Amino acid sequence: MSDLTFILKEKPKFTLDMSPIIPEKLSGLNQTKIKKIKLIYGKESLDVGELFEISGKAGECISIEKSCDKLICVGKNMKKGSITIKGNVGDLLGQSMNRGTITVKGNAGSWVGTAMTGGEITVIGNVGNFTGAGLPGDTFGMNRGLIHVHGNTGDRVGDQMRRGMIFVHGNAGDYCGSRMHAGTVVILGQVGKYPGDSMRRGTIILAKKPKHIAATFKSCGNLKMQFLRLFFTQLSEMKTDFSVLNKFGPLTHRFLGDLSRNGKGELLILQAMDRR
Amino acid sequence: MKINGVQIDNNFAEAFPMKATRIIVTAMNLKWAYRAANALRGFATSVIACGVEADIEKELKPSETPDGRPGLSLMIFAMSTKQLEKQVPIRVGQTVMTTATTACYSGMESDTQVSMGKSLRYFGDGYQISKIINGKRFWRIPIMHGEFICEETTGVQPAIGGGNFLILAKSARQGLTACEKAVDAIKKVEGVITAFPGGVVGSGSKVGSKYPFLSASTNEAFCPTLKGVVKTELGPEIGSVLEIVIDGLDEASVAKAMRIGIREVCSYGPKNGIYRISAGNYGGNLGPHLFYLHEILK
Repeated sequence: MSDLTFILKEKPKFTLDMSPIIPEKLSGLNQTKIKKIKLIYGKESLDVGELFEISGKAGECISIEKSCDKLICVGKNMKKGSITIKGNVGDLLGQSMNRGTITVKGNAGSWVGTAMTGGEITVIGNVGNFTGAGLPGDTFGMNRGLIHVHGNTGDRVGDQMRRGMIFVHGNAGDYCGSRMHAGTVVILGQVGKYPGDSMRRGTIILAKKPKHIAATFKSCGNLKMQFLRLFFTQLSEMKTDFSVLNKFGPLTHRFLGDLSRNGKGELLILQAMDRR
Repeated sequence: MKINGVQIDNNFAEAFPMKATRIIVTAMNLKWAYRAANALRGFATSVIACGVEADIEKELKPSETPDGRPGLSLMIFAMSTKQLEKQVPIRVGQTVMTTATTACYSGMESDTQVSMGKSLRYFGDGYQISKIINGKRFWRIPIMHGEFICEETTGVQPAIGGGNFLILAKSARQGLTACEKAVDAIKKVEGVITAFPGGVVGSGSKVGSKYPFLSASTNEAFCPTLKGVVKTELGPEIGSVLEIVIDGLDEASVAKAMRIGIREVCSYGPKNGIYRISAGNYGGNLGPHLFYLHEILK
């Protein structure tokens, strides 16, 4: 059975709220009914059929093609199945998603995986700011789940994160892991200023020394962290993409903080070596 | 029935239901993993007084352990999950955690779980860190040599304890030589352990005693020094009786271990002082798992 495919007819002028297009809401619907689903477009509502060409049958998998950055809230509140997006996508990708997988073969906007409580988001390109963060007013950011970014991220990745993991192959902006409560952020590229600002707990693993570390982080020195052996081994088993960590050893420069918040979070700056 | 001239009694071993867990201990190298594992399995020979029965199941290659270091898999058996819940954190905390460079992980998936890191984390005095990796929670406890990593819980499954056979030999030296070979062969069977020292019981017991405060006492019918005084099971040629007790995850693995062990012992034959094989039972009153020697050796 082919995936239910939505092909965008033309790039919208305004933002298009895609939150109704998730597997559990479309399950059991035929194409006629799907075409009549209303999507919020700017200040008005439009039928899906006016915006997308649809093919395939509703099931666990959805594919969105010729996507662009005006499509927001893709996979919002998703609880099962998978969504594959070919092209770029806008803000709030996978907001509050609970299970399932979202794959973006392009770039994504800001607030990727905000308030997510499970599932997995993979972005092959770059993402904007506040990846895995909470929305303004929220107490926590993402709470379980995995955000996997192959490109770069903007500022404040993992802001207020509660649980889960964000793995970035590229660079990250300033204030990476700010206000973290727990969870793990891994950045393999260059990180901007003030990583871990105001973090209380959690782990930020950096492959390169950040541009600036706040004075409220105290160095524990260069240490061999047993945890990293476990972490690298388990991640390599999870996904082959993570086996890139195998070039790093357990030797790391550890910083604890943020002491301005009496924090017990950690910044681990990896050092490449033979891990055995 | 005779194997290589060794008489096999038409008898059965009586085993009973237990609960088992498997844990994986890793360390900087196998030497230190063994130090931890040997400490954990110390004083864990019999549930009669030790609380649990435990032993090393097998060595694990780095590719088989959660953290990619050399390790050992251990199995711990108890009469109840409650008993395991009490014993596992104590033993892991006092033996594995205290051994330098070690880490401890669950080696069994199950819906029923008992605590490991869940209890031990408090040793971190507030500096402990929890990490969920691949759906499993691990605790990182800062300790003086670095960090002790321990999985939060380990799985528990129903198991069988007390599978056994008796080796009736001319002398203790001859019996033990055959037993050592049998225990080595049994170690190759997955899912079983022989928890007694060296895998061999030198003082097999019966249930009960003339003393009301004692739940188990010497099995006088198999004591060579009491021949002629008590109703003995031993002929004049028998000078020593040893027992191999096997705990396993299921009937099939216990039966396989018994079969392999008995055949190894019998390979020595009467020439080398091995005369008879029997089994310990309590008339079928102790447990539902009966291993008839003639059947398992078919």
